[in-house]
This record gives sequence, structure tokens and C-alpha cells, in this order.
Amino acid sequence: MQVDLTALRQGFVDVGYICDENALLTVYLALKLQKPLLIEGAPGVGKTELGKTLAKVLQTELIRLQCYEGLDETKALYEWNYQRQLLRIQIDSRQDGNKLEEEDLFSLSYLLERPLLKAIRSPEKKVLLIDEVDKCDPEFEAFLLEVLSDFQISIPELGTLHAENIPVVVLTSNNERELSDGLKRRCLYLYFNFPDVARESKIIRSRVPAVKDHFAAEIARVIAHIRSQEELRKKPSIAETLDWTRALVALDKKRVDGAVVSDTLNLLLKNRQDQLLFHRKIGKKGIDQLLQQPDTPGGEQRCL
Amino acid sequence: MSLTAPAESHFEENMAAFAALLRAEGLVLGTAELLDALQALRHIDIADRTAFKTALRATLVKSERDLEIFERSFERYFIPLTAQAEHLREATLQMEAESARLKDAAGELSFKGEPLPLSAEEMLLYTSLPEEQRQNLQRFVQETEAAEKEMRPLRPLLETVVKGHLRYWHSRKEQLSPGSGAGGSGGGAGGISGAPVNRERRLRESDIRELSRADLPAAKALIDRLSRQLARRLVYQRQRSASRGALDFRRTVRANMRFGGRLFSLKYRRKRRSPLQLLLVGDLSASMKRYSSFVLQFIYGLQAAVANLELFSFADTLEYLTPALKEQTGLEHILERVVLEGESWGGGTDIGASLTELFEKYRELLTHRTIVIMVSDTRTVRLSQALAALQKVQERVRQVIWLNPLAPEEWSRYRSVREFGELVEMWPCNTIDQLEKAVSGRLFAANTYLEQEAGNDDQTYSYRR
Repeated sequence: MQVDLTALRQGFVDVGYICDENALLTVYLALKLQKPLLIEGAPGVGKTELGKTLAKVLQTELIRLQCYEGLDETKALYEWNYQRQLLRIQIDSRQDGNKLEEEDLFSLSYLLERPLLKAIRSPEKKVLLIDEVDKCDPEFEAFLLEVLSDFQISIPELGTLHAENIPVVVLTSNNERELSDGLKRRCLYLYFNFPDVARESKIIRSRVPAVKDHFAAEIARVIAHIRSQEELRKKPSIAETLDWTRALVALDKKRVDGAVVSDTLNLLLKNRQDQLLFHRKIGKKGIDQLLQQPDTPGGEQRCL
Repeated sequence: MSLTAPAESHFEENMAAFAALLRAEGLVLGTAELLDALQALRHIDIADRTAFKTALRATLVKSERDLEIFERSFERYFIPLTAQAEHLREATLQMEAESARLKDAAGELSFKGEPLPLSAEEMLLYTSLPEEQRQNLQRFVQETEAAEKEMRPLRPLLETVVKGHLRYWHSRKEQLSPGSGAGGSGGGAGGISGAPVNRERRLRESDIRELSRADLPAAKALIDRLSRQLARRLVYQRQRSASRGALDFRRTVRANMRFGGRLFSLKYRRKRRSPLQLLLVGDLSASMKRYSSFVLQFIYGLQAAVANLELFSFADTLEYLTPALKEQTGLEHILERVVLEGESWGGGTDIGASLTELFEKYRELLTHRTIVIMVSDTRTVRLSQALAALQKVQERVRQVIWLNPLAPEEWSRYRSVREFGELVEMWPCNTIDQLEKAVSGRLFAANTYLEQEAGNDDQTYSYRR
């Protein structure tokens, strides 16, 4: 797959994924060096979306492996179709003269492919998204490390299967626990912050075209202001910003003010404590005051 | 060729030196990463500083924490030529100005025409003081000079006062400088863009008592987040091992009778759950209030992972906090109430009396499954009584864990720490990082232990349908 930076940039624009040059260049290098890309950042900053976008840009299938504690090889790699093998033995025992060999039972047709094996055995280059890798157990992480370093899988009954095309691997982590050095060493690293006001309003305009420029900017300013509250249990994600924007459009709103934010707060803060905190620390007044202040162009509000 | 080869190797040497600098700053990076970086540079325009930096960042940095170190090191190492000359000129000018200031300072702080015997460091500190403070000191020296004409020699006293004053300013400056005492590399360059990352690290690594009022909301949010994360992990850990035990042969045979005895569907034993039971006793005396309320908040956040959580506070007497929490008053309110109007206020901390009361009045809460967490700096009246009471509690419960907010290097200085430490496990908890490590380490170990025990139970005499 030939990758070129300009085409990649254009691809991201066409798909409507707005990211900065740093992210774009890191993705480009991951593709060029054929290395997995590890993306870390708070929940809802667009890590998973980057994996999905990459599949769209590269016009290939996305294979997703959602990690959770307790995930093991049988869910991630392969499993023998035990029931089917038993049925085959039963059928075979009733048919005289048909001698069943062990190899017949352990052939590819009895193998249930899970995401990792599917990505490796695919004849085309696929995008493999290993989502929330920090949620899996350390043992599984060690196993992942083996797969991602050689892109080969050993199945005792079949032998070693090599990747025909090394997949584009994107790993995401919410930083809930520190990943092992070995796994990190094999990846290129990208850290996502919440977008600044300028970029978020660009994202809003790109995803909800019905929104006018100044309206999108107001929404982005309000969101950045809410996110700047350090005590929030869960800061509004980009997806929530977009949902909120769509809701405001559906309600036929043309501007944001304190009352609108307060009435639709459920879409942004989905936790009672966070909602109370909003009313205590910001409130309708706070939003009105914020929107009365002049907009600082490209105001870089780094929120974490 | 002969011209390019040395140039290239010079570039690689430079990159290796940069990697060494990053390593010295604490990044874990090996040759593989350096090779990746060199390979990445082949795919970009290395004359473009931003692209060059991005390529190095993507290949050499592996965690959020390292980002800030990378940014700082990059700016220090890869200085554009024009800026380099500018830095050099600025540094020379600064040195010249400094030596001039030192000369003036010696004149300003002279007593009877003779400069006071201050060290170079003290002189530098003096020159960096605000104008008003400098004038105050000068005035003080002059007034002392005038006074000496009538009284006894004042020079030794004057020297002590001036030095003491300078020491005060030195310690104040250290307190005000961000990241001091957090093991940062200092340098005071400032202005790093990864400020939020930096702040979280500072909050995690600073002594809890040193946190400023402005830091408290963020610190509490951090505690809340960490404790919820830990609760989730503890629950996962239990669910994972609880979901599948050994093969349950009897149920498997029964379930597969309808298939003529072929084993289509396997049945497993479920492990018996033995969730954690925690009982926290926090010292809320004046010196301990901040630490204990942080630990209380952290443990309170673990409710999802704990079957039974009991909270107590004490200073001179014991106070049972759980009933008020069940009435949903909120932890913050309860802590405020206990500290402001509590009956247990004013006397000396009495660990012995509090533990004896716990043992006598709340004995039913102390079971062989309970893990008791004590939060105290061990300072107490009547130490021998306290030791005896702790021993009694310990014999009744599964484990007592002591969280001590004193810095570990001070532990050997106190007899009480040594004596309590011989009886129970003691862990430092003076920073949020240490608190999290101590609690999560102990609870994970306890969780595993409970599971193993439950697993054994299963194998020996129990199974479930």
C-alpha cells in the first residue's frame, strides 16, 4: 500500500476527521514504518474514531477487538469449533468405510477465527483496532506483544501462520493502567488532548453541516469552559458535543445561552454530581458571562 | 561518498546523544527506539523543525508522563543556530549584570565600612530579593550601626539576623517554586506546554499537606478518579476468577445425558465469592486531618468493590461515621462536622483508648474477614496501652494495615513508629501516589488471597447447582 502524506491529509479531510498535523504525521509514520500505533488520552477525544477513519481512508475493512478484563486467546485469536468436531465424529462413526483422520478434524474449516487471526490471515491489508487495551489483563498484553512483534501465530495443530499482509494496527488506551514497556516499545505513540476551541468548532461544522460558524464557535467555547472544571467526574466527549449540537439544531436553536445549556445539560453531563457541580460552579449566569466576553481567536484551551 | 559518510555518522551520534539525554531524564528507551527514530526521519523533511520533532516524539516517547520531559529536552537540545547565538549573548550579559549586582550588594550590606561575611549564595539571594526587602535590610544595618555607638558591640547579632532573614526568603522561594520537592529536574526553565500533565504529576507526588488550597479541588477529583479506577479493577479481578472454576463433572454428565453421553456442553463450578470487608480508622487530629480525609475519600470511593465498609475517626475518642454516611449526608459534610464540632477534639491523640472502644463497643464489626486500615502518624499518649489494644484488634481480624503519612526517612526517629511497625504492616501515604500504591497493593493481595481460599473451599466441600 503506497502511502503519501498529502493523500493521507486529503483522505482525512474527505472523511471529515479533523486532526492536527502532529497526529497526521504520526499516523503517516506508523503506516510507513509498519508499526502499531498506540493512542492514549482521556475518554471521548477521538481515539477509536481515528482507527475507524483510517480504515475508511485506506478503503479497507476494520477489524475491531474490544478489550476487557478476562479477554483471552479464545476470544481474541482462535478457537476450535468443538461442537462441530463432535458432530463430525458422530456422523462419521455411522458411515462405514469412511476413516476419519485426526488432521481432518483440525483443519481450517473447524477453526473459528477471532479478530487477531482474521487480521493476520486476511489476503488484503486490514485495519486492526485493538480498543481500550489498558482494560485487558497483563497476561493477555504479553501475548499481544508476541503477535504484534512478529505478526505470526502458532497453532499447535496447524503450525505457524504468517501474516500475508501486515495489518495496520491501532491500539487505544484510556490510561487506566500503565501498559508494559515491551508493548509500548513496539508501538509509535500518540497522545490526544481534548481539542481546542478552534478545532472543536471545525469538527462541529464538519459533522453537523446545518450549524453556522458563529453557533459552532459558541458551542465549542461552552464545552471547553465546562471541560475546564477539574472536579468533573466525566468531561463531555467530542461525541457528546456532537449529540448536543444535533439536539440544539433539532430544537431549532440559533444561539447558545445559559438557559439552553441548563435545559439540555443531560446530554453533556451524565452524572448527577457533575450536573450539580455545573450549577454550583458555572450555572446559567456563568455561561451568559462567558458568551458575552469577546472570543479569543484560536484560543488554545488545553483541557485534560 | 567520503564527504557524506562522516556527516551522517555525526548526525547519528547527535541523535544517540539526545537519546542519552532523555534516558538521563528518566525515559526508558533502548536502541530499538533510536533505530525507529532514525528510520522515521527518512520519511520526513528533516529541515522542517515541527515534523522533525513530531517524528522523534512519536518514536521515542511512550507515555503521557514522558511527553513533558521530551518537550523540555528537545527545546534544550535542538536549539536553532540563531537562537543559540542569542542565548550565548544573553547569558554573558546576565553574568556581567550579576557580578555588578554582587559588587553593589557588598557595599550595601557593610557594617562600619566592612562588608558582612555572607556566602556567595546568600549574596545572590540578597540581590534577587524585591527592592522593598533589600531596602529594609539596608535600613536595619544602618540603624544597628548608629545604635552601636551607644551600646555594646552588635555586629555578631546583626550577622545572625541578616543571615536568618535571608534563610527565610530562601525557604519561601523554595515553597513557591512549582514542583519543588517532587523530584523534578529543576532548572526553572518553565513555560512547558504540557501544563495539565505536569500538574497531575505534581499533585500525585507532592506531600498531601503541602498542597495549596487552590490545588484541593483538583487533588480531590484525582483521588476520586483513582479510587473509582481501583474499585473497577478489584471488581474485575473478582469477577474474572469467580466466573469459572474447575470442571463440574456431575453437572456436566447430567447436562449431556440428552446427547447420549457425548460431552457437548461443559459445566464449570462457580467459585464462591468472598468480597472485601474494610474497616477504616482515621486520625482526625489537627496534624493528621488533611491526610486522613484524603484516605477516607479514597477508601469511600471503593464502595463498589467492597461488601462492607465501616468508617471511624478518632482524635482523643472514637467516632463511628458509617451511620451518618448511610443517611446520605456526603463524606465532605461529615468530615467537616467531625472536625468542627466533634466531641473528640481538643485532647491529645489517644490511639489506645480509641482502639479499646472499637474493640469493646463494635466487636461485631471485627471479624476474621475484616481488613482494618489505620491512618495515623503513630503519635499518641499512653503508647504501651495503644500497642496492647492494637494487638487485641489484630488477633480478631484478618489483617491490620497501617498507613503512615510521615515521610519514611523519618520513621526510624520515632519509637512509636518502630513499635507499631513491628506489630502490623506499615506503609507510607504522604503523597497521593503512595496512597494509591499502598492501598491498591494491599487490597489486590487481599482479594487474591480471599479468592484462593474460596477456591479451596470449592474443591473440598462445596459446589453449586
